[in-house]
Amino acid sequence: MAEEHDPKLSEHYRSLEPLEPPPELDRTILAAARDASDKPHAPLVVPAGRHRWYYSLAAAAVLVFAVALTLHIERERPDPEGNVASTAPAPQLRLERELRGVIKRAPEPESQPAAKPEAFAPEPQPQAQEAKKPSEAPAAPPPAPRRAAADEVRARQDAALERAKVEAERARMQLERRTSNPDANSIQQRAAPAAAPTGGLAIAGAPENPERWLERIAELRSRGKHAEADKALAEFRRAYPDYRLSEVMRERVEGK
Amino acid sequence: MEAPDEQLMLAYRDGNAAAFETLYARHRTRLYRFVLRSVKSRSIGEELFQEIWMRVIQARERYTPQARFTTWLYTIAHNHLVDHWRKRGLTLVSLEDDETPGASPDPADHAEARESLARFAAALEALPPLQREAFLLHEEGGLSIAEIAAATKTNEEAAKSRLRYAIAKLKAAMNDG
Repeated sequence: MAEEHDPKLSEHYRSLEPLEPPPELDRTILAAARDASDKPHAPLVVPAGRHRWYYSLAAAAVLVFAVALTLHIERERPDPEGNVASTAPAPQLRLERELRGVIKRAPEPESQPAAKPEAFAPEPQPQAQEAKKPSEAPAAPPPAPRRAAADEVRARQDAALERAKVEAERARMQLERRTSNPDANSIQQRAAPAAAPTGGLAIAGAPENPERWLERIAELRSRGKHAEADKALAEFRRAYPDYRLSEVMRERVEGK
Repeated sequence: MEAPDEQLMLAYRDGNAAAFETLYARHRTRLYRFVLRSVKSRSIGEELFQEIWMRVIQARERYTPQARFTTWLYTIAHNHLVDHWRKRGLTLVSLEDDETPGASPDPADHAEARESLARFAAALEALPPLQREAFLLHEEGGLSIAEIAAATKTNEEAAKSRLRYAIAKLKAAMNDG
């Protein structure tokens, strides 16, 4: 630092013409600073005095809302052993919901091929595991306490959801088999754009890693299903825009 | 014991206008000199000086004491000066290009400026902007090499070189007389 400091130079520098900001400039800046600090901030502090009742009112409103919501759920809950199908959505809607549900979850790194029905189901989630327990064990605990009742309702809803998922999967498999069916194509198209951002969901809805996805495209190409292969390749490009194709794979998926 | 700058700025952020007044009183003269000696024009310098403080006022809610307040203040000043030069179509010359044409003092003026202070002032004015800025940050802001580097968004080696060049040139100018 010695080389970067020279006391003699500093002395010369200090001896230069003394410069001071003019008083009017000081006044302008200080006035602006005061004005800025006078402006109200976001209400981060607890209001005092007559505003205290806001908090009581807010707490009461939240309480009323929570009670109303609980009662509503209690009233709307499905029959414990009842017909799930009657409350479940129509197959196509269910299928769409199911697809969206899968898309929201993180893709499985080592998921099974889409052809297997179990591959479509996402990685077992803790909630799903919880949901299976009540469905496997019909002797549910007595719903005497309010919390237990709420848990039971949730478990039943989860179990119903699981069953709906299985049905949706079955429907999807049927649709897949009928590739010429326009309904199936439209569902696939609806599923695909949402799949892209997750970076690994194939047209059929199963999360795939890029290599497996490319294999499938190559297979479509080799079977002469060029339109489907082109579409799948476009989807792949959307999902993995920076993926580098090897020359061999490029030839296989592009068919050139 | 005086409250540190950072504490004052936090107090101002939280609505204490008096804290700003103390802070302003501490830094006004040095920052004023830094700005005026960077732009060489009093009217422009005053305008810039005011705008820099306005930026400080506007930025108060985002202020967090991650570095010394002085470094933060002179970083704002540096950025504002760079904006000013860009608006006027000027750019800061690089270290290698430090012999800016027209930046050297007029030989006639130099001959007239016999007094050491005048010579020093001329040499300071003749410094390339980056070197002058480094010198002024060091002298006026009391910034260390690391702080100069942080304020001017460069690395420490570059900041050190600029300051060294500036000092060497100023020394040479003084010895020439």
